[in-house]
Amino acid sequence: MTVETIIEKPPEKPDADQSMGDALLSHQKRNRLFQNVKIGSVWAALILILAVGLLQLRFDPGYIGEHYGFVMQGVLTTLGLSVASILIASVLALLGALGRLSQNSIAQGIAGFYVSLVRGTPLLIQIYIIYLGLPQIGTQLQSMGFTDLGKSLTLTAIQSGILALSLNYGAYMTEIFRAGIQSISHGQREAALSLGLSSWQTMRRIILPQAIKIIIPDIGNQFIAMQKDSALVSVMGVWEITYRANRFGRKDSKFMEMFILAAALYWILTIVSSWLEERLEKRMAHAYER
Amino acid sequence: MKKYYVVITFLIMVVLVSSACAKATPKPAADKLEEILARGTIIVSTDPAYPPQSELVENATRATNTKCAADQHTPSELSGFDIEVAVAIAEKLGVEACFVTPEWTMITGGSWANRWDISVGSMTITPERMEKLYFTQPYYTTPAALFIHKDNTTYTQYSDLEGKKIGACSGCTYDAYLAGTLNIPGETIVQVINNPQFVGYETDINAIQDLALGDGLRLDAVMTALPTGQGAINDGLPLRQLGDPVYFEYLAAAIDKSLTPDPIPLVKKVTEVIKQLHSEGVLLKLSEKYCGLDLTTAAGGFDVDALNQFP
Repeated sequence: MTVETIIEKPPEKPDADQSMGDALLSHQKRNRLFQNVKIGSVWAALILILAVGLLQLRFDPGYIGEHYGFVMQGVLTTLGLSVASILIASVLALLGALGRLSQNSIAQGIAGFYVSLVRGTPLLIQIYIIYLGLPQIGTQLQSMGFTDLGKSLTLTAIQSGILALSLNYGAYMTEIFRAGIQSISHGQREAALSLGLSSWQTMRRIILPQAIKIIIPDIGNQFIAMQKDSALVSVMGVWEITYRANRFGRKDSKFMEMFILAAALYWILTIVSSWLEERLEKRMAHAYER
Repeated sequence: MKKYYVVITFLIMVVLVSSACAKATPKPAADKLEEILARGTIIVSTDPAYPPQSELVENATRATNTKCAADQHTPSELSGFDIEVAVAIAEKLGVEACFVTPEWTMITGGSWANRWDISVGSMTITPERMEKLYFTQPYYTTPAALFIHKDNTTYTQYSDLEGKKIGACSGCTYDAYLAGTLNIPGETIVQVINNPQFVGYETDINAIQDLALGDGLRLDAVMTALPTGQGAINDGLPLRQLGDPVYFEYLAAAIDKSLTPDPIPLVKKVTEVIKQLHSEGVLLKLSEKYCGLDLTTAAGGFDVDALNQFP
């Protein structure tokens, strides 16, 4: 005789809370999907209206199809200019922010003056001054005997463009960096200092790593703006998207076609950049997930 | 913290100096011509906004085996009358032509900071420009003409445009003509329109586009070079020329007075080269190729010494 021990599993009783939660989640998910579809169709409709509108211009879409390659070749130049400039601008912005927050009156004065002057003047004029004005100072220096220093002030078009974009965006980003650094709770700094870290170590090891998470999305934003502002560099004859579109359009009097193509290229560039920025932002947010 | 500033200052200086030292300077030459011959390239500025004088080439590949710097363009990447003239000048000098493409106003304003050696850009000789630039023998002339919308029936002569809106490029000779201040060495200017309303544009082509929108809509007429206006008509824009050319301009290569070392021997040499190109018929052929008519003979007879450019 065997004793059968039947270990009966209790029947899976649905946990009421759990199922309610699941239902709620799937409902939300469905709603979100529905919402996305609706937003998507609004976009599609708007793009359709835009396309129909564009076709009413004296506009030849076939021309774009035949000649887009020439303008596309400028994409790398535009991207290269923007990437180089955003990197230098970030360095300038960090220095600027440290200056703005420092106790040293000279550093504070320089940083404040830089931000005020550069933010207060148009980028196009800065480009002209750097490209056309600096060499004239250089000539003066050369006549005073500083030959190499004088010659070094004559920058090429691309160097001038990168310098102007970096200086300009560095000034805007100084404020972004400053706000980011200030957003880190004061307790962090006090704790670090009380552990015996120097104020430089505190900045580098405690404050900046936390601040950078807050700053990154804004840098992405500035990068998107910069891609479009880099069009101004075309006045010095750098063959980026705008220059190529503008000068090529003249050839066959097909301005509208080429400008619309250039606009579309910038748009695609910024869509890709903001997508990348979103992913980067999500990655950065992992640190705070539980 | 103090040390930190020193490091930053040092870093900034390193960046500045290293960007400056990127171009190694060859042995100092006695004058610009010598420098160009030693370099083996002549750097020519052109604004490819003015077909058929200068335009971009689609699907162009940069010449391999070139001495042109990375930020300069080889002749294969551009085409047009000016480009071919520049290449012909370079050939006569025994050097390679390399092109840079700054905006037109940066070329005419002088103070090139030695970024380029010469402009072969259909530049009209004017007294204002002669203050900053040296001019060579002109290589062709261009007739200035007035264009109106095709639909217009009321304008039959220049004087009908009295008080009308006339578009042209800002700061160019048409601007000066309409303002009544144009003075072309070697040419008598007769003012034919009273009180025109000048509307300035970045380049002539933008003015032509605005005129093409409709008669009197934004502009009543455009003043531009005969070949430019004719080109727009050939492209199908609804325009027509009003009367004969208003005046002729002499178009020459230009060289910045502030170039270092001394640019005068270069100016004299290029003048000599252009005279040769005239007498060999090279320029006439190019003019017929790009403009379909002879615009060069009058330019060959221009007396460039009468400009009294050199001290």
